[in-house]
Amino acid sequence: MTKFRMRQAWTIARLEMHRAFLSKRAFWVYLLAILPAVIFIGHGIEMKVRESRYHGRGVTPAEVVDSFTKGENVEDVLKRAPKPVEDHEWSYRRPRDDEGDEGEGAKKPRVSERIEGRSLTYFDGQRRVNVNFENGVLIRQHSQNMKNFEEDRTVFAGVFQYFYLRLAIFFGCLGIFMNLFRGEMLDKTLHYWFLAPARREVLLLGKYLAGLVAATVIFTSGALLGFGAMLWPYSGAEMQAFWSGAGPAHMFWYAAAAALGCVGYGSVFLAAGLLLRNPIIPAAVLLVWESINGFLPDLLQKLSILHYLQSMCPVAAPIESDTPALLKLLLSPAAPTSRGFAVLGLLAVTMLVLWVASSAVRRIEINYGTE
Amino acid sequence: MAVYKRGYERYDGPLTSHTTRLLAMPRFAWARLMDQKLVVILLALSMLWPLLCGGFIYLANHLSLLQGFGGKDLGKMVEINGKFFLIFMNTQAVFSVLLAALTGPGLIAPDLANNALPLYFSRPLTRLDYIGARMAVLVALLSMITWIPGSVLFVMQSSMAGRTWFAANWHLGGAIVGGFLLRIALLSMVALTCSAWVKWRIVAGALVLGFFFILAGVSQMINAILRVEFGSLFNPSRAMYIIWSAMLGVEAPSGPTAWECVSVLAGLVVVLAMILERKLRPVEVIS
Amino acid sequence: MTAPGAAPDVVFEDVSKFYGEVLGVNKVTLHIPAGITSLVGPNGSGKTTLMNLMTGLIHPDRGAIAVRGLSPRDPESLMRITGYATQFDSAPRWATGMDFVATGLALYGYNRAESRELAWKALEQVSLTDAADRKVAGYSKGMRQRVRLAQAIAHDPPVLVLDEPLNGLDPLVRAETIDLFRHYAAQGRHVILSSHVLQEVDVISDQVILIANGMIVAEGEIRNVRDEMVEHPSQFIIRCRDASRIASLLFNESHVTEIRMNDDRLGLLVMTRDREEFSRALTRVAVAGHVIDGVIPADENVDALYEYLIGGRS
Repeated sequence: MTKFRMRQAWTIARLEMHRAFLSKRAFWVYLLAILPAVIFIGHGIEMKVRESRYHGRGVTPAEVVDSFTKGENVEDVLKRAPKPVEDHEWSYRRPRDDEGDEGEGAKKPRVSERIEGRSLTYFDGQRRVNVNFENGVLIRQHSQNMKNFEEDRTVFAGVFQYFYLRLAIFFGCLGIFMNLFRGEMLDKTLHYWFLAPARREVLLLGKYLAGLVAATVIFTSGALLGFGAMLWPYSGAEMQAFWSGAGPAHMFWYAAAAALGCVGYGSVFLAAGLLLRNPIIPAAVLLVWESINGFLPDLLQKLSILHYLQSMCPVAAPIESDTPALLKLLLSPAAPTSRGFAVLGLLAVTMLVLWVASSAVRRIEINYGTE
Repeated sequence: MAVYKRGYERYDGPLTSHTTRLLAMPRFAWARLMDQKLVVILLALSMLWPLLCGGFIYLANHLSLLQGFGGKDLGKMVEINGKFFLIFMNTQAVFSVLLAALTGPGLIAPDLANNALPLYFSRPLTRLDYIGARMAVLVALLSMITWIPGSVLFVMQSSMAGRTWFAANWHLGGAIVGGFLLRIALLSMVALTCSAWVKWRIVAGALVLGFFFILAGVSQMINAILRVEFGSLFNPSRAMYIIWSAMLGVEAPSGPTAWECVSVLAGLVVVLAMILERKLRPVEVIS
Repeated sequence: MTAPGAAPDVVFEDVSKFYGEVLGVNKVTLHIPAGITSLVGPNGSGKTTLMNLMTGLIHPDRGAIAVRGLSPRDPESLMRITGYATQFDSAPRWATGMDFVATGLALYGYNRAESRELAWKALEQVSLTDAADRKVAGYSKGMRQRVRLAQAIAHDPPVLVLDEPLNGLDPLVRAETIDLFRHYAAQGRHVILSSHVLQEVDVISDQVILIANGMIVAEGEIRNVRDEMVEHPSQFIIRCRDASRIASLLFNESHVTEIRMNDDRLGLLVMTRDREEFSRALTRVAVAGHVIDGVIPADENVDALYEYLIGGRS
């Protein structure tokens, strides 16, 4: 490609970028990109506020907290640990256990008993321990780290793979890249580009570049912002260890997966916008395909963009929490592809799709009447 | 020859009723929709699951046919109860979203894109009439794949299982119809609002899909990051599932109560109605 | 054939274009020389299709097109010498008049300052400098027409293709625009336009191409087209005092096909297959003592041609 054509492509990209970044229609894309970061920041603030509140109310030594046993009286617990950070009491009615004693077929009277419930929460400096009592007897206790870095990293992996890659980047690229050609056809302005002294392939390249720069900047920044927001509440040795170990690589691969998501989905939606009058139908099919990806056989799983993007992610995502139990049994994620292969595979698919798009753009005709 | 003075005289013959006139709009819109191959294909696909469920009901009531496969043990597995209808409704709900995304945007967006609203509102039609007429198309279409097959299945089960079953489960019939009507009302409002919000049919279709899929993602994200359960309120499909569970008497999943879900969805419908009211005005503003 | 030294023509060789099952244009063969050429035809006759074909916005199903030797499939070269003002009444929402014209110029390789200077000149030529900084979306119909014209002429192309360029212009601007076309034509450029304002086309065109139902029904200078149509009746209006008597005399002539009497009985509309025979017959009528106040050919303008050639087919 000659230097002049490259310059033309960049000029087109520059003109289009303005639209992609600043048009009012694109603001929802920003919202999608920063949403995980906003929620993680909310989570961080909540953790910090709670931690300082608990510190103010008193710390119970860990060995005392660990000494509570099932069946103990609430008075005994409070004697040993008099400073719970939270104390809730309530009462409710529950059917009595002896309800079924009257034999089969007999009309059972509804008998219930009143239960006095109480929940004490202790803080040992790191963990929050909920101790539950019924009628003054300890029935259950549950401890949770106030800040659980490993858990948060897994949550971030899930959010990144299930929300960010599969939905935010998917719909964001749908909006940005389909707007480049199909949007102009709907606005009846595409002919202005076709009447410029530029090859159609140069126009395609320029527009793709514009979409790619916009989508990559928005979603890579969003991913990094989310990652930063997830790490923000943690400090000290844990973070030092993370940053001197896997941290930078994790950050890089999350950013790379977001960027390559834009590369892959972007090319697909650009081509769909050129080839089809209603690109929403293939978009819906792709969305369903990517969503049921985990339930497909290994080979079919590898025919999705999401599989390669997930292969690049540094932490495996947990299975979605509200997946029905029966479906969880059917889930069998394919073994991740190596990162090098994933990157090359995605780039190769992108090149192929762009080649198809370039032959489509050469054939495309201006016929707004049918839009 | 007698010459009569002639002038303009307004037609003062009989007119059709307001409702009949109103039905002219859905009639034409319906014909247009049925001309689309994809709509017909999706409608046909949406009927597959009810057919399968019908077959399942038949087998469940003719366990003798399954003797060779351990029919007696299967008896408990193939019980037709609230849970069965919940699964049926949940699957049809997915098809209803796809159908609404495909058909809903074509109802208002083209009128806005072509500045056709003044043409409608210069006739004896109010905005409410217009929305009602458009919504009627969606309600009819979505009914075909939701409460109508649901009711057929319920009647089929009642007639096969006998009076005892009906006496114990009559409330399921009301829950199927009522639950689906709630779903249709929500879907129609979402589809019409998206159609009115963006003038482009294609983008409106994407918006309907995005509305349900992205909100589902957002709700899961809130639940996962904040370790809470109220996030499910942001997912209309999940909220509807919780309401259906309560209506069908099935143990509800943990999280918000059915009444909380009803309140949130009612609030959502009000907001959508306000947007619709604001967007459907026969004027064009060039900024 | 193109004369040596002259600019090559815009050439259509046996071009057909179908939109699915709908005919766009059929077997069109045309050689359009430099100067002002008007495409005339009823709505849906194929004028815009021809223009879109020659600028590469659509591609022919059959045949070949060359614009001064360049293929419309090569926009990189073609659009350097061609400016096209389409009939699509649309412009990017974000653009002011100046941005709209200057942005297009950036793709020709002009830097920002040059683009703005050329854009300003183009806007000046269409008298739109006052509104240069306003958004095109807020322009009136006539202003949008003018800004599209400015965009087409901004890079000073030798071939201008203009789809109904006079639509919506006020009389003053219309006259200025026609002058601009004449100025371009005088420089040896192609100015190819379509119009429904037949009177104007009649006045400004060097040649007309009459098109109906996707087929070329006539082309050339208006008078030549008329002269070549020997088999079609010519119309004459005769102003006279003894209309019914003259009508009965003319009816005896074999070349007269139809006579219509004016309501005031002071005039006739006569249709004849032979102009020369008609003029001899008129002489005989005058010699016989009937007073003829005047004879006016009623079909030597584009309206009449239009009526003859395509009026019955549209």
